[in-house]
Amino acid sequence: MIPGGQSLVSSPPVFSHDGKKLLVCTGCTVSIFSTSTGMKITELEGGHTDRVTSVVVVPVAAPSSKFISYCWTSSIDGTICYWDFSVPELIKKVKVQLPIHSMVIPNISCTPIGSSEKTSNHYAFISVEDPTISADENKAFRGQIQIYNLTKSRRVRGLLAETRKPELLSVSKNGEFLGITNKRKLDIWKIPSNDFRIEEIKKIKLHHTKKLTALAFHPKLRMVAGGDVTGRILMWIGFGRRKFSGDSQATNKKKNLTDEEKPGVRNNDDADSCSTWHWHPSEIKFLSFSSDGAYLYSGGKEGVIVVWQIDTGKKKFKPRLGSPLLYFTESPDPSLSCVTCADNHIHLLKMPTMEITKSIAGIKLPFSYPVGHKGLCTQVAYDETAGLIAVLTEDYCVQFFSLFDNHEVSQVQVCKRNFQPVDDVTLYVALVSVSLDGSLMGTVDVKIPEDGLGGLVSLKFWMRGSRIAEYSLSTVIYEPHSDAEISSLAFRPGHCMAVTSSFGGDFKIWIHNLGIKLNDQLHQKTGWRCQSVGSYKGRPMTAAAFSADGSVLAIAAESVVTLWDPDSNVLVAVIGDTHSPITSLSFIGNSEYLVSLTGGSTPQLAVLTTSKLRLSWSYKLVAEALSSSRDTSQFSVLVLLNSQCGIEKENGVILLFDVEDPVPVATWMVKKAKGGSLAFVPANPSFDEIKAMDGEKPSLLVYVNGDHEYIIFDPHNMDNRIGKSSRTSQIALEEAGMFGYASIYGDLSNLNPKQDQVPEITFAPSERPWETIFNGSSHALPPLTKLCSTFLASLIEKKPSMNE
Amino acid sequence: MTAPLTPVCGPPLLPLGFGRLVLFPSHNQQARVLLGFPWLLLLSFLGYLIVCLHDPIALYRFKMSMSFPNIRDLLASFSPSLDFFAISSGDGRIKIWDTIKGQLQTEFSDIAPSDASSLLSQRKNGHLSLDYTCMKWVQLEKKRKKKPGNSILVLGTGNGDVLALDVSAGQLRWKVSDCHPGGVTAVSYSMLRRYVYTTGVDGMVCQIDTSTGSILGRFRAFTKPISSVSVSADGKILATAAGQLKTFNCSDNKKIQKFPGHPVAVRCMIFSEDGQYIVTSGVGERHVAIWKVGGGKKQSAICILSMDHPAIFLDCKKLDNDGKDGEGLSVLAISEMGVCYFWYGSSIEELGNCQPTRISVFLESKKKFDVAIYSAKLLDVPKPASGQVFVAYGSLVKPSFQKLLVQYGVDIKLGDFKGGVLIPIDSFSISQKGQTMDMKETVTALDRANAEDAILPVPKLYAQDKKRKHNVTKLITDIKNVEVDPIINKNKARSAHRKVVLQRMEEDGTICIEDRLKALGIVTEKVDLRTKDHASSPTNTVLDIYSGRKISVDVNMPPKKIRAHILSMSSIDACKSLEVLISALKKSSVSSKHIFPWIYYILVNHGQFIISQDSSVQMLDSLHKMIKLKCAAIEPLLKLSGRFQLIMTQIDKAAGMKASMDERHGEGDKMLDEDEDIVDAEEDDDEDEEIDEMVYGEDESSSDEDDQHQT
Repeated sequence: MIPGGQSLVSSPPVFSHDGKKLLVCTGCTVSIFSTSTGMKITELEGGHTDRVTSVVVVPVAAPSSKFISYCWTSSIDGTICYWDFSVPELIKKVKVQLPIHSMVIPNISCTPIGSSEKTSNHYAFISVEDPTISADENKAFRGQIQIYNLTKSRRVRGLLAETRKPELLSVSKNGEFLGITNKRKLDIWKIPSNDFRIEEIKKIKLHHTKKLTALAFHPKLRMVAGGDVTGRILMWIGFGRRKFSGDSQATNKKKNLTDEEKPGVRNNDDADSCSTWHWHPSEIKFLSFSSDGAYLYSGGKEGVIVVWQIDTGKKKFKPRLGSPLLYFTESPDPSLSCVTCADNHIHLLKMPTMEITKSIAGIKLPFSYPVGHKGLCTQVAYDETAGLIAVLTEDYCVQFFSLFDNHEVSQVQVCKRNFQPVDDVTLYVALVSVSLDGSLMGTVDVKIPEDGLGGLVSLKFWMRGSRIAEYSLSTVIYEPHSDAEISSLAFRPGHCMAVTSSFGGDFKIWIHNLGIKLNDQLHQKTGWRCQSVGSYKGRPMTAAAFSADGSVLAIAAESVVTLWDPDSNVLVAVIGDTHSPITSLSFIGNSEYLVSLTGGSTPQLAVLTTSKLRLSWSYKLVAEALSSSRDTSQFSVLVLLNSQCGIEKENGVILLFDVEDPVPVATWMVKKAKGGSLAFVPANPSFDEIKAMDGEKPSLLVYVNGDHEYIIFDPHNMDNRIGKSSRTSQIALEEAGMFGYASIYGDLSNLNPKQDQVPEITFAPSERPWETIFNGSSHALPPLTKLCSTFLASLIEKKPSMNE
Repeated sequence: MTAPLTPVCGPPLLPLGFGRLVLFPSHNQQARVLLGFPWLLLLSFLGYLIVCLHDPIALYRFKMSMSFPNIRDLLASFSPSLDFFAISSGDGRIKIWDTIKGQLQTEFSDIAPSDASSLLSQRKNGHLSLDYTCMKWVQLEKKRKKKPGNSILVLGTGNGDVLALDVSAGQLRWKVSDCHPGGVTAVSYSMLRRYVYTTGVDGMVCQIDTSTGSILGRFRAFTKPISSVSVSADGKILATAAGQLKTFNCSDNKKIQKFPGHPVAVRCMIFSEDGQYIVTSGVGERHVAIWKVGGGKKQSAICILSMDHPAIFLDCKKLDNDGKDGEGLSVLAISEMGVCYFWYGSSIEELGNCQPTRISVFLESKKKFDVAIYSAKLLDVPKPASGQVFVAYGSLVKPSFQKLLVQYGVDIKLGDFKGGVLIPIDSFSISQKGQTMDMKETVTALDRANAEDAILPVPKLYAQDKKRKHNVTKLITDIKNVEVDPIINKNKARSAHRKVVLQRMEEDGTICIEDRLKALGIVTEKVDLRTKDHASSPTNTVLDIYSGRKISVDVNMPPKKIRAHILSMSSIDACKSLEVLISALKKSSVSSKHIFPWIYYILVNHGQFIISQDSSVQMLDSLHKMIKLKCAAIEPLLKLSGRFQLIMTQIDKAAGMKASMDERHGEGDKMLDEDEDIVDAEEDDDEDEEIDEMVYGEDESSSDEDDQHQT
């Protein structure tokens, strides 16, 4: 089992105390990268079972203890872990029970390791979520800020604050102040350096007129900067002089001051002055003061780091980072810092000049299609032979990511256009498909019409160069189906042929001319051309697939599957009649079976036989993705669970079927199934671990979830599943746990719901309906009225009424 | 350095036949490999000038002309998981390439020790002070999971230091200073053990712990400088070579065996996986020798594989699936010219006789690139006489990496980039096995009119002789509606060539349905039917059983009631009742007018289940045939009625009795509607029109005839 594709940008990264390592939260592990090479050194794993949310590196004081490197991490699973990350080794675990969204340890800098001072207690301020309060209640306070004594592993009684949702905590460098953004104000607490009694912690509020999104404390001065949704930066200078001083005399004196003497400060807030800077056109994502306190760094969606000189307010820019920015982290080494981009990249910057020295690239994250996109929502394709996943990106690229190596291989720019994150989306890559051997790639990009004008769909065919995942453009076809959008693109195995189906009601078969060497005047005709056009009753073509040997082309014409001879363009047969349009279609291996997925109001997973031209078996399931194995007669389906509970909305089940048998061979529960996809990939022989894992069975199943995190596992190896079940909880996919068939269906396993038997079906409503749905095939579910009464009634009553 | 020097080894000839390779022991017990006489010839022909300086000894190598690739001084090593490739071209820089991306990952030019506070390491001036003599990528622990930071790059220098570089962290892991005074010559490690062996010109073998860098032990193997070392895969036997070969037991450092070896210094030496053979090549010798471990005291080479140029790199792999020992050996060697040789033999004797398969880089004549194969690794031997080889090739500026499947006996030429070295270009070449296909490709653009010469689906009428439809309504539609569905039998279409069979309507000859049914064998003689087990009126009873209510099929019922009744039945009951109904229809025991609505509703409501039943296929088939025949009969009937109507109208016209005509016309319509009800309840309106057209067309012709007759 190989997890991968973790997000590098879920939480801000942290530098180690010597600035040579960068600790990045990657799923439920923390990956440690070298800042000099940009390569991954090691990983902190085994401590957390859910997403790690924050890392706090313990500072060191004396040079003798230079090699000691410890850190605290917090996670959604409700634990705080203490690590020695040079080894790496888990030292201590503190259980909090509530999901931690943010953690800071303000007084950690006061007592660094190795200093002669007696180590006092470490107090962690954690922002937790109370899961007992449901999110539906508008006024509920789901977030709490609690204090934990880490040395004694004990919670300090009392709550610091309650918030609507768990907030990100910020702390000043010396650990004196703690702040959160709370809607239109900043809440700031002054933390006493030693004795902790929650009543003694004083709080001030600084008000603003807009929702605040980021804050930063000045490392030396009593100054705080806040950024709001409109892109303004506010700097409060001398905050909390009245309240935090603790001197009542001084408080009285200050009160005499009138508001005019406090320029820019609202609501008689406790600050000397407040100034506003404005450059960013959109929400501020991060604010960060430089360690010497002379500069302020800010950034947001437009992908530009702005460096403000605090004295003068002069600006310096670092533009063209190409993606919305999320975090900015300064290292103890003044010449190094890093910026985290929303496209799952971390750039290490050489500091005064801000040039990118190294980049740590993760898999590109999914983007949302613009309104009006009709086709499939999967943004990935697979180069199965090379073990690569092709991911569509927002910046008009296709990123090739190595599944087994878990790192980026290449990026192919589909549209030669500069991506600006702030611009309105006018162009997007809608579809990508890679041929079975990886030698051909097809992409579809769509230009969105403005006021109904200027829309353009273009189909591009690419050919691979000498290296894997290196493609160059071969042919561009503008408006391949006139104005209609392309619903699917499939390559014919073993041939230079592709098919595109469109919602406009036709499909086209494209071939690549190879006989170019014969005569030179044919040079114009190289590349791809349309070989044939087909349609079926003018219905929209919603899916297309070639059989494994390439001899049959199956096209879904809305609700029926039409089989064509791809060479002569002859309609061979028509199978099936679903109630809703078919969304996905696939041949199963070399068998004569065909699987179709139907969405809409009456979802269906149907297995059709091409030899008998009829439906073999079907289920009423909302399936998100489909993948069939090349060499066996198995296929897997990713099924969404429509549970009423809001939290489990995105959970799904992977079902592995053998085509002959409607009872699934294996089942796995997964999270974030919406937008996920599946693929069978052959095991990479150069990796020892896979060899040891699966032995002779070479085919592995890849599940990519909606956040482009993935896991590769052997679907046939039951031992692996059971043996590793203790580990599954730690993997990034956050699988709830894998179950063998027996553990789910238990007593049902000896029941054999073949079609010729009389199915004994009980219709008692179960709490877990997806488990009982497999009791028998859906043909034999007797009162059909119960399942889709309205639909059938409309179907049947139409004709008799006409005849009468 | 002009002290009198005495040659130790003989002067073997270099490829071009000029110059000699001599080993000189210098005055301070250090030895240098030096290219000798005469200087100018060396300059022009070999491209290297080596100058020996005083302590600290540094070698300055000047690369002169690039007329042919010279990769002798290149140090190259793949990482254990093959995702990185380290290469050092002798100028003290180590470049780490990412083999998946094909990009430079990082570069080490001046390795600063991680512990800056230690005073032992004084700063040398620049990267030239580091003169690497050997390099090996060492895997620290054998773990199932591929983990970063699990491997180190062990380097030996000409100063005698051994360095271990943590590549992913980008820093020095440990350093053993002056491990081998005079210079380190070779590094070897075993996968199972946690230490590396290094050898030096001082004739000593050093055992170093890989994790800490502490020297675990050292012993003298030769009095002469050792040129190569290798540890067997199980870590039990150590082989060292100067000119001679000696094997040692790793546990007690005792000498096991001695081989005569090569007359020159051994350049590379490796153990086969099982530790049975040692494969060696000498400096400047154009052959590879294979020695058998564990034979007699003094053994000569059991196999000699000859090459065109001296080998600088060796790898070998045993065939796993061969049960017998000592058989099926594959040997891979890279020559000084950057050509990879591959031998395969199912036995040692066969290996000695076989010709090598060459893998070379295809060099375009006009471009003078310095292209070669730098390193290779035999990954896997999937089947006899082939091997999967991972090669690093191309130019030193930008090597390429590829996994090749080498078939023994088929030479492979690797294509190189056509245009620039570093600049990605749109035009590219596709390199394939055995040949290179050059396709100067320009981007083709097609506009909206992209399907001008495309084949369109021809709407022809195809017969559907054996076709079965799962949906009975569609089935009937298809019979009437053949113009819409161009249907051909699937089997015919699969046999590539198109076979167009035009739909032919049933001949008008016979009208009697019963006769035709009989001819097809659907309806047998009524006598037979009566002798069947079925009771006199089985349909009613069966339906009673399944429905639990008393409903007679014979009675004309409103369709809504029928539908409600059918819906209340389970699929299996419906299937059985369908069977009964069809058999009743065959026997015509019940009026077909009443039976057809029942069959229709059963098929509509339980169609999917019935189709999924294999047994129902035959039943549906017979039903299909029956209905087809009925359809065929209807047309003549319609014609008849049409003619009848026409004649009646004419008669009426003549008689001037319009009222009676209306009546009859209404009757005719009713009859027509009934027929349609029976045949196809779902027939579309336009189909009705078609039928009407047909009827009237016939009528016109017949009326013409009639008119003619009248006139």
